[in-house]
Amino acid sequence: MTISGLGPHGERAAPPERVSLLPDDRTAAKAAGWRVAVVLHTLESDWAKQQLAGMMGIFGDCGAAVIDVVDCAFSPDMQVAELDRLISQRPDAIISLPVANEQVAAAHRRVSEAGIKLVLLDNAPTGLLPGKDYTALVSSDNFGLGKIAAAGLSPRIPDGAKVGVLGFAADFFATNEREIAFTKWLQVNRPDITPRIHRFARIEDSASAADDLLSANPDLAGLFVVWDTPALAAATRLAERGATMSMATVDLGEAAAIALATGNSFCCIAAQQPFLQGITAAQTVILCLLGRPVPAWIALPGIGVTRDNVVESFQTIWRQPAPREVLRVLGLSRGK
Amino acid sequence: MPLTAQDLTESPRPRGKGRPRTVETAAPSLVELLNLVRTGAANTRQELERQSEFGRAVVADRLTMLGDLGLVDESELGTATGGRAPRLVRFAARRAAILVATLDQTAIGVGVADLSGKLLTEHHEAADLTAPPAELAERLTALFRWSMERHAPQGSIWGISLSVPGAVQGATEGDFLTATPPVLPAWEGFPLVETLTRDFGVPVWMRSSVETMTMGELHAGAGIGTRSMLFLKVGRRIGAGIVCDGQLYRGAHGAAGLIGSLPVTSGGRSGPLDAVAGSDMIQREGLATAQDGRSPMLADIQRRGGEITAIEVSQAAQTGDPASVAILTESGHLIGQVVATLANALNPELIVLSGSIVQTNDIILAALREAVYGASHPFVTRDLRIIRSQMGSSAGLVGAARVASEQLFAPAFLKEWVMQGSPLAHPAFAALQDRLSQTAPPPPPPRARTGQELPR
Repeated sequence: MTISGLGPHGERAAPPERVSLLPDDRTAAKAAGWRVAVVLHTLESDWAKQQLAGMMGIFGDCGAAVIDVVDCAFSPDMQVAELDRLISQRPDAIISLPVANEQVAAAHRRVSEAGIKLVLLDNAPTGLLPGKDYTALVSSDNFGLGKIAAAGLSPRIPDGAKVGVLGFAADFFATNEREIAFTKWLQVNRPDITPRIHRFARIEDSASAADDLLSANPDLAGLFVVWDTPALAAATRLAERGATMSMATVDLGEAAAIALATGNSFCCIAAQQPFLQGITAAQTVILCLLGRPVPAWIALPGIGVTRDNVVESFQTIWRQPAPREVLRVLGLSRGK
Repeated sequence: MPLTAQDLTESPRPRGKGRPRTVETAAPSLVELLNLVRTGAANTRQELERQSEFGRAVVADRLTMLGDLGLVDESELGTATGGRAPRLVRFAARRAAILVATLDQTAIGVGVADLSGKLLTEHHEAADLTAPPAELAERLTALFRWSMERHAPQGSIWGISLSVPGAVQGATEGDFLTATPPVLPAWEGFPLVETLTRDFGVPVWMRSSVETMTMGELHAGAGIGTRSMLFLKVGRRIGAGIVCDGQLYRGAHGAAGLIGSLPVTSGGRSGPLDAVAGSDMIQREGLATAQDGRSPMLADIQRRGGEITAIEVSQAAQTGDPASVAILTESGHLIGQVVATLANALNPELIVLSGSIVQTNDIILAALREAVYGASHPFVTRDLRIIRSQMGSSAGLVGAARVASEQLFAPAFLKEWVMQGSPLAHPAFAALQDRLSQTAPPPPPPRARTGQELPR
């Protein structure tokens, strides 16, 4: 699968295979006994849990101790404080998902300046440079995810209709890319559609943002939300208002998979591969600690998921059976 | 609250006969003081008095004016050195913003920068520069609008600065463009500059990508604090940016560093460096090795329906494909021969390589180092560092922002607008807007029909 986006500094993507570990690498890593910390935006989402599961397996295989896993609760202030606390603990490496742009840039720069290897997930604050301020960025092809969502939603949208886009107000590489790619795909392939963009600052505000968008545009024919948790909240609110419409989003969380299988509103989900991304991020950490060169941006392709392939996609992405509810709705599980 | 020209020119006291008005006398001192603050040369009233040699009353009066115009900020206190803590005088870099873009052969990048040239946000996406220019202009406008929506509200933009693939004729120091210069054959006849000026109502600057990337690397990358530097961009074309005494050297017409035209000889064949070592050669040779079986890795990409470009050859070389390694080694050696000549002539302390081919592998860098070290005087290479840029395409955006920032505040330009508090009031720009308002904008690009891709 190809990567359609470019990195935060215009980098060409390197595939995850570029950071594969050889048996010698694992042996050398075990002998070194490194200490690693992980700083995520949240630990609540399925995406975060799978990401961690992928990392832990690799760190376990390589004898690296994960000394802390931090939940920043989407708060830039909390992330700055936690990074400074971790710097004082002197881990060999930190994997961090910067929750904002300018507000958290200096704190991330301090990690590198303290001699701690820094691998970023999903977002690189403007002004931070690979090789200087961080080692590498590991992310999904977020531009590709936006295109998949637009292409999946398009057949459900009548000529000349309006489509809502619920974006994330924070200046965040991953969600910016999805929003830009979604609207670009429409501009090129469905210029008859008028996108109406509205943004929410916090997940808790996503339902009311959907309300506002619908109130301003009562004739919306579809909606794209930049990830699944706010998309589900928006879908619930729209259903309460009796305004069901075709929806597309990013991330195949458990609830999103059920919603897709049910087929009431979601028609397409552009799925990331968080388990594989966790593995890739951990391998990148091990290689850079071994002193091997790593690419500035390693990107994982997205997967287009519809009701027809939700079961196998769920298994591929999560390395788990699809939720029982999905199997039941699709008639694949006949038990009670 | 910015002052109007009326506020500054009308004094309640009667002027004596022949006495110059404030507007006539204040501008030069405002320009000098603002630039001392902007460049960080002075950041307290005492330092400003000392460096400018203006009296205390003049400095106080001009700072009040600059504060009212929103160009300086005196709200912060500095560190006390015995007495009262001095009030810091800061340049209000967020007073307005600059839109920047890099138009490359295969990618387009956009960003928003503050007035000091600091990048606040950026986005890069693949693009085809041979596509119809109206389509490209429409995409650029859409991305600018998106960036403004997130980072710079309408009315707060003071300029657009573009980084383009070739040397820009007519882009002399200090001038914003009043018409689109000939840059690429595909853009011939399309009024890109006029369209952007009309749509955004701001002056437009344009420089070659080598110039902007050199500026970016010098001010925000590996070149910070460097006095002499050579910057090399390796792509379809190979160009050099030359920094002497901490300044970009542009030459008589902004065409300094076009080393891609220099003849070199490889395997008995002679040709310009661009053709013999650039990405077209890498792609062509890569395709040949895929087809004749010398590169199983590239052949495999082709078998799976993938396209082979210079990037694929670079990535294959990085993973150890011998045929791809040989192609890139040859390219690195040839570029290195030319760079060695430049290095011997200029004695730089730093050589920085950039371009997506260089970024995806280590082979070109190693081969170029070998060639430069082998062909240079020992004094030249004694402390010479040859590195790869870490900035990627950000260098072009940062450099473009620096171009606009330096031009907006160049004393001769600034003098014409500082009293009005906005460069959009510059008389030459107002005249350009008048002229453009009397001409019709170009037609929009053709649209795809519903559900269909536009043919490319």
